[in-house]
Amino acid sequence: MLKLLQKIRSIVNQTQVFKSIFRHGYPDTDANRALVMFSNVILHLHPVRVRRGALKIKFTWCLGGLTFLFFILLAITGVILMFYYVPDTRRAYNDIRDLGTVIYFGSLFRAVHRWSAHAMVFSVWMHMTRVFMTGSYKPPREFNWVVGVILLVTTLVLSWTGYLLPWDQLALWAVTVGSKMAEATPFVGAAGPFGPELGRNSGNDMAFALLGGTVVGQSALLRFYVLHCLALPLITALFIAVHFWRIRKDGFSGPL
Amino acid sequence: MSENASESSKSLPKQGKLADLIKKTASEKIGPENTVLVWPNLVYLELIAIMVAVATILFLSLVSPAPLEELASADTTPNPTKAPWYFLGLQELLVYFDPWLAGMVLPTFIIIGLVLIPYVDPSPLGKGYYTFKERKFSMLGFGFGLALWWVLILIGVFFRGLDWSWYWPWDDPHVHQPAGAVKLVDLEILLQDFLGLNEAPLVTLGRYAVTMSNLLTWAMFLGFYAVGFTVPFLFFREFYRKLGFVRYNLVMFFFISMMGVPMKIFLRLLADIKYVLVTPWFKI
Amino acid sequence: MAENKNDNLDDDVSRRRFFTLMGLGVGWGGLLTALGGVGVGAARYMLPSVLYEPPTVFKIGTPDEYGIGVDTKLKKERQIWVVRNERGLYVMIAICRHLGCTPNFFQDQALFRCPCHGSIYDTRGNVLGGPAPRTLWRAGISLDPVDGQIVVDFNMRQDPDPKGTPEGLMVEEMGREVEPYFLKV
Repeated sequence: MLKLLQKIRSIVNQTQVFKSIFRHGYPDTDANRALVMFSNVILHLHPVRVRRGALKIKFTWCLGGLTFLFFILLAITGVILMFYYVPDTRRAYNDIRDLGTVIYFGSLFRAVHRWSAHAMVFSVWMHMTRVFMTGSYKPPREFNWVVGVILLVTTLVLSWTGYLLPWDQLALWAVTVGSKMAEATPFVGAAGPFGPELGRNSGNDMAFALLGGTVVGQSALLRFYVLHCLALPLITALFIAVHFWRIRKDGFSGPL
Repeated sequence: MSENASESSKSLPKQGKLADLIKKTASEKIGPENTVLVWPNLVYLELIAIMVAVATILFLSLVSPAPLEELASADTTPNPTKAPWYFLGLQELLVYFDPWLAGMVLPTFIIIGLVLIPYVDPSPLGKGYYTFKERKFSMLGFGFGLALWWVLILIGVFFRGLDWSWYWPWDDPHVHQPAGAVKLVDLEILLQDFLGLNEAPLVTLGRYAVTMSNLLTWAMFLGFYAVGFTVPFLFFREFYRKLGFVRYNLVMFFFISMMGVPMKIFLRLLADIKYVLVTPWFKI
Repeated sequence: MAENKNDNLDDDVSRRRFFTLMGLGVGWGGLLTALGGVGVGAARYMLPSVLYEPPTVFKIGTPDEYGIGVDTKLKKERQIWVVRNERGLYVMIAICRHLGCTPNFFQDQALFRCPCHGSIYDTRGNVLGGPAPRTLWRAGISLDPVDGQIVVDFNMRQDPDPKGTPEGLMVEEMGREVEPYFLKV
């Protein structure tokens, strides 16, 4: 049986189609194991060899990688959810309810999206804590820590913009509270310290720019939809790319 | 900063410290004998981690689908309104501080403070391994902030109920707690009554009527920072010398501000103080 | 752009240096100005000039429809409470001054309590407890001379500086009961 499988594999490996895609044999020799890292765009995130310490679960707890995995899960399920969702205050709530009641697997995709979001916030915090505990932010990796803090912030803002979209009570009040905080920003908020003195009112302050109006209504929903589905994921993906790039450039900080 | 000593180094002799450092630096050199191929060693580990994580997410999704509350309506706020757990620390802070402070300034301080960490702590001691002994101050400082954040989150998740009152797990969560039993007072009012100070303002600057007790609260507020900056400078000279002027002031500013947060919370809980500092433009 | 490398130069070189610096200055200055202009434009773009929101001036019936005390029947529809005392009538906006939640009125305690962070107000809008930094807003009101109904201007709001007292954040009541925020009845 095993022999048969190996035979099939060697035949498949020799076909023109396989060679056109992979350009190396099955990675069971050192040479092919190196080649797979060079020629595969996803695996190319890795170096060919790593220090033994990088494999230690008790050092990294896989937290950075898991955060990235949750981001991928969120991107996939997010695109799937977008097929049925219209960012209109008259429709949004019913669209989400339909996902849970009449659309096949709609409930599952929404649940995966939600749990991945919770998991991503948790793992990004834990990852930061771990990086602090092992002192991995120390020179020459200072800037990558800064990129990580930016990613923490975008993760939280993504979560916040995401939960307005179902247009239920939690959505409305979480965003009402959030926009009142924006209104209380010093200097640029109408209710913040020195805001009124600088000519800010409810028609030209920070909260107005965030909501696109004076109440949490249609323009706020549209703004949050665009931020959540387009602007913030792009920014996050960009900084994730920088984050990974810097890890490769600066090397792994851990033990052997 | 070239000495690279940690705060705890007093117990270690200088020679040992340096030798340690050289050993650690040397061990960062990568030779083929210390490395392994990523395929299969790391790739398979990642595959296992991915499968476990995806299985966990799927399991959670199946047993607990995403909730959907009632349709949004601006006239009724659900009681209580709880944000998702990761924002409950912030929501709890909002009980003790005004929105501009709890919602904007403190989060900004937290983010700036986090960004500054690698620039105020570049010492290579403790780089790439878990250690408490070699970097006690940074571990304790970061750990304190982290613990504070998680404690606030846990309070928000487990101990807050109707009207955002405090509910013990054994309290009935459907019965309102009595309201208004506790009156909150500004610190300056307390001082005014306690010391018998004159209520009339010493000087009036536009909307700002500066009274004697108001000046006292200013003195106490600034004094808190002044003491915080001065004491380590006078009594922990080594700490100051290692950080240098700029780093020392940055570290101390964020550290003292961080300590101020639980202090204000305790003042609120123990003495029912609403604000420690009152001006017409902002209140702390 | 500041270059101090060469101190003693003949005219020719310093002229060339002058034009180089000027070119650099104009070039970079122009670029930065353009970028700044784009930034200002983008910021202004985010502030809409036309709003499609519910009307903020509306009528709520005649004063004799409201008895002494707090009337909560318009809270759902208009986010206001109509309060009447011995002297007259005022309209309070049902938005917590802390973070904008809608407080609930407790008839037995005669208190407004906010479910979000536990702010407590009395029927005059003074803050008795919780984190609210200011007193409840009162809306501008007037009587329509034609049909005698109360006209509420939701965006016209009375917001006096409160004073900290042992009882809470207080505003002197008589100072609040002035037109256009109060109807003598």
